[in-house]
Amino acid sequence: MNLRTCAKRRLALLCLALLTTPMPASALSADELIRHIDRLWRGDTSEARLTMTVKTDRYERTMSMDAWSRGKTHSLVVIREPVKDRDVATLKVDGNIWNYLPKINRVTKLPSSMMSGSWMGSHFTNDDVVKDSSFETDYRSTISFQGERGGHRVIELTSTARPDAAVVWGKVLTEIDGKTLAPLAQRFYDEGGALIRTMVFDQPKTLGERVVPMRMRLQPEDKPKELTVIVYEEIRFGTPLEPRFFSLQNLQRRR
Amino acid sequence: MVRGHKRGLDRGLDRSQLHGRRVPTLAFMAWRNLWRNPSRSALTVAALPGSLVLLILYLALVSGMTRQMVEHATDLSIGHLQVQRQAFIADQDLYATLPSAWLPQLQQALPKARITPRLYASGLASAAQASNGVMIKAIDPSSERQVTRVLDSVREGDAQLDAPQVGSDGLTRHQVLIGAQLAKNMKLSPGDELVLVTQAADASIGNALFRVSGVLKPIDPGFDRSGVMMSIVAYRSLMVMDDGFHELAIHLDDAALLSETQARLQRAVAELTAEKALDELGGAAVVRNWRQVVPAVADMLKVYGGVTWIMGAIIVALAALGMVNTMLMAIHERTHEFGILRAIGMHKGWLLLMVMLESFGLALLSAVIGAAIGVALVLGPLRRGIDMSASLPDGFDMVGVNIEPVLHMALAPQQVAYASLMVVALAMIAALLPSWRVMRLKPAEAMR
Repeated sequence: MNLRTCAKRRLALLCLALLTTPMPASALSADELIRHIDRLWRGDTSEARLTMTVKTDRYERTMSMDAWSRGKTHSLVVIREPVKDRDVATLKVDGNIWNYLPKINRVTKLPSSMMSGSWMGSHFTNDDVVKDSSFETDYRSTISFQGERGGHRVIELTSTARPDAAVVWGKVLTEIDGKTLAPLAQRFYDEGGALIRTMVFDQPKTLGERVVPMRMRLQPEDKPKELTVIVYEEIRFGTPLEPRFFSLQNLQRRR
Repeated sequence: MVRGHKRGLDRGLDRSQLHGRRVPTLAFMAWRNLWRNPSRSALTVAALPGSLVLLILYLALVSGMTRQMVEHATDLSIGHLQVQRQAFIADQDLYATLPSAWLPQLQQALPKARITPRLYASGLASAAQASNGVMIKAIDPSSERQVTRVLDSVREGDAQLDAPQVGSDGLTRHQVLIGAQLAKNMKLSPGDELVLVTQAADASIGNALFRVSGVLKPIDPGFDRSGVMMSIVAYRSLMVMDDGFHELAIHLDDAALLSETQARLQRAVAELTAEKALDELGGAAVVRNWRQVVPAVADMLKVYGGVTWIMGAIIVALAALGMVNTMLMAIHERTHEFGILRAIGMHKGWLLLMVMLESFGLALLSAVIGAAIGVALVLGPLRRGIDMSASLPDGFDMVGVNIEPVLHMALAPQQVAYASLMVVALAMIAALLPSWRVMRLKPAEAMR
């Protein structure tokens, strides 16, 4: 549950960040691009409605959720559908995750040992959703490619984990649209250099000054038939949200 | 010594007699010689039986521990045989279940065996104080009691699992038994409430309230740290899973029928699979005996068998070295006497035989005394085992098996026989060196 929320939020933030980029790409260094993407995650506030579809060998499941975020430290995701899980809420504050379970009216905290577990049965991990680390501090990035690729102008960033950083990935390749600076794809490699999973961004939409991909697809390399897709139906930035909106009290009161 | 020597000559060294019954005469001489210096013989005899006593105690301790490991596997957790799907064995695949209908059908195929079904899942447990990732194990309390004694291993509270209570909030609370370490980490005791959250089989968020009815003694380290045991009824409602089992555990009254029953079970499983194919993703249904389920324990038992005897041989060899020393001294003292024996015509081969017979006498005596003391200790003062519960109240963990704090001894008659035989054999090998020196004596020099 937590994971889903977090992923949602992160996606929302990413989209937000992408949207807010008005600068011409050519003028930016790798660090500036990374900082730009990092800053996207740290958008002031956001409010979104999205659906997540998880496809595995065993089941396909679609959930629709509402998500709110404030900075990169606060987020709240509430499930609307399916009805069985309605109002199950996930709150993230400063790297801690709590779940609110309406059926039993209890709040549970996710222990750190569960961070590598699947988020809401998706291919995202809890860690994906919660981690406060930024590419700027944990990875060293360079522009590894800039030019035409498949008829589009793209910029490819290669981010390599810094030796002392406690991160999961050894290397991350990020492909960015050269014009809009919207991310196109991200490839995650482990420390041995093997591709573990690929995230593809598409359906770009212009929201104000930014171009935001409204769909993200995450595919694990070892299970080619499995997939997690997140689609934003609606996303708004700059909604006034106070920190106390993201509190345990509010989590239970919302009901 | 001189008197003894004389006596030996008077009684035994008639040449005609010697030809007639050489060996008995030599044996008699050897026996007499042993008693010429009783304190020296006694000293030798003290070291050899001492080593045998140590060896017997060591064997008894190791056998006791290995027996406990086997009983632990077969009577507390695994049972003698298990049936699971391949994908469940490989990565605990929640959907890799055996059809529920298999239970009565396999029971029919194996009327004498006792079978119990089990289900597993992983989840998140939350209590007032803390939350923890947990492994959920669901059992059928009544048939589980027929297969394992796990429900008797309750440290606190009781093992009641099938009496759900409805609280004032209208929510049903099933009971759970939890591992001791988990109880400690989450500060839980019987009567406390526990929230379990998991991903149910229909991919929804399974969540329910439970009440801790008891804390289990440490059985296996994994369960102790993160195990939550509930009834299959509670599991089915939490996990939204109406049918199927992850595991069928089978107990045999006669463990000697293990391989025969395993073959029968395999045939029955093959027939059931042929009747109605299982889904592909879960893989085949696999029948394994407890040795195949916990190869680490099975391997350990094998290694232990060999290591014990090597250790024993080292202990006994050290004591036998002491015997070499004694025998060398004895021969040195009797150089003169051996010279005379050679001079009056005794063949050096007979001399060698006599010295070897002396060693044999010592070794035999040592073996009898050592075995008697060792067996007496195991059957007497150590009958109740070695109690370490003062310092290790929960016992200790060995290759994933919890060893009870009281170490029980187990000793088979053939173990005593082999150990005694080893003492005699090693003592005889050790005696070869001093005997060899007797062979090389030159009569003229020796008598001087």
